[in-house]
Amino acid sequence: MATPALEGNRSDRQFWMDVGMVLWSSFLAAGVGAIVFFAAVDPLLLRDAGPQRFENLSREAGYALGFLFFWALAASAAALSVYMVRSVGRSDDRAATQREIR
Amino acid sequence: MHAKLTAAAPLSTTPSFYEAAQKIYPREVRGRFATKRRWTVVLLLGLFYSIAWISWDGQQMLLFDLPARKFHVFGLTLWPQDFVYLALLLIIAALSLFFITALAGRIFCGYACPQTVWTEVFLWIEQWTEGNRSQRQKLDQKPWTLEKILRKSSKQLLWLSLAFYTGLTFVGYFIPIRSIGAELVNLSLGPWAVFWILLYSLATYGNAGYLREQVCKYMCPYARFQSAMFDKDTLVISYDELRGEPRGARRRGAAPAKPQGDCIDCTLCVQVCPTGIDIRKGLQYECIACAACIDACDDVMDKLGASRGLIRYTTEHAMAGKQTRLVRPRLFVYGALLTLATGVIAYSLLTRTPLILDVIRDRNALYREVRGDWVENAYSIKVINEDDKAHHYRLQAQGIAQLELVVPTGVIDVAPGSVANVPVRLQAPAANAHGVHPISLRISAQDAPNIVRTEKTRFIGPQS
Repeated sequence: MATPALEGNRSDRQFWMDVGMVLWSSFLAAGVGAIVFFAAVDPLLLRDAGPQRFENLSREAGYALGFLFFWALAASAAALSVYMVRSVGRSDDRAATQREIR
Repeated sequence: MHAKLTAAAPLSTTPSFYEAAQKIYPREVRGRFATKRRWTVVLLLGLFYSIAWISWDGQQMLLFDLPARKFHVFGLTLWPQDFVYLALLLIIAALSLFFITALAGRIFCGYACPQTVWTEVFLWIEQWTEGNRSQRQKLDQKPWTLEKILRKSSKQLLWLSLAFYTGLTFVGYFIPIRSIGAELVNLSLGPWAVFWILLYSLATYGNAGYLREQVCKYMCPYARFQSAMFDKDTLVISYDELRGEPRGARRRGAAPAKPQGDCIDCTLCVQVCPTGIDIRKGLQYECIACAACIDACDDVMDKLGASRGLIRYTTEHAMAGKQTRLVRPRLFVYGALLTLATGVIAYSLLTRTPLILDVIRDRNALYREVRGDWVENAYSIKVINEDDKAHHYRLQAQGIAQLELVVPTGVIDVAPGSVANVPVRLQAPAANAHGVHPISLRISAQDAPNIVRTEKTRFIGPQS
């Protein structure tokens, strides 16, 4: 009987390849996002509008934090996509089970 | 039923897409294309490492100064407002890549891609410290002797130094490189500069030292969709199957016992391949068109006294014995788009006025009566000085007889790269200003007569 995609048949290497793909594709997306966003918005303006405890942040820090924020956002979307695509295998297994019963 | 089930079962498992990666030991190769690549690598890296240090008008020639939010490009200063140029530049780069790919296949991958270029240099270092392909393979299997430790650690030292210098140079295109250099010596470099330098050093070290062909196989989006630009007239590297097969070893001078092709199955083409493929199996997406296999095979053919080109640059049409068409619609489309984008960016850069004027009519009141029988409209204007020096601007208004302009702040002085928000009032005799009038506001720099902008707005007076 077929093993569900997420539990059995998946090697460690495949898992790490997925992680790599997620981080890499979201890195590219975050790069584009950060460039477009910071072309329009100066991080110092954001800092001045924000809470006082951030008042010493530099522009460089703003760019870096902004980039990391975009990266995390894009990575969560990519990770969710990979999870959804991979877990579709389960419903195929159910279909096979159904056929077996019939 | 049962048979059907077992047949269906493999479909429902996710197949393992990824075989375990085997370390590839590319064999060193000499020849026409290897020489070309060596020179391209020297030229491109020479440009990369040197341009950052070149000055122009006392400014770093090419500097995307992120801390200061301004870009210096060959004497031109651009601001975040000029983002459209960057976008256009990226479009031009992409179109050029499409054009070149349709024409000559993956020339970019094999000779100019940063991944290829740095991998090549890292390989030179590896060959220099650990020897050739078979010596490297043997060294990896040997126990840790003093020699192995020395060879491995000198390789690591050179790799890390080059990677660090690469990261430093890269960041030097975004933060003035001379200040990075000085701060590095004083150990006063800011934490974020250190972060980016280390990140790019690490990326260089990992990509060029270890990931290598896996970047092309698994990470590069271009490798996946480049085939969309290919057609049967695109230059590809191909093994001449008709000539080569059936392959097999043969003795020099001796007549083969059975019909035999020119391929002696020496597998040198596979050994030199940086992505570890066998070109004789046909065109594969892993092939980065570096032509190492051509060099290797030509060498073997020379030794055998056979003609070169068993593996060669060719097109699918030429392989099938047909004419290769150089000029074709696809090239015209890419070429036209490329010319258009280049024309737009050239025209707009040449005619660029380093000044932006935005006029917003005050919407709180239609008009105000002043000085008895005069009416007044209020506006707020935004003046963006995109020049790299400060200017004193003069504002003029036109459109109604006896129109007068009041600038409460007196003068309009704007620092380089800055935005000034200026409240402005226009006044006109009520008799001349009934209804809605189009108005034009003209702003000019007093010390530079060619820096002029004109914007249109409206003046609203009482109904007659």
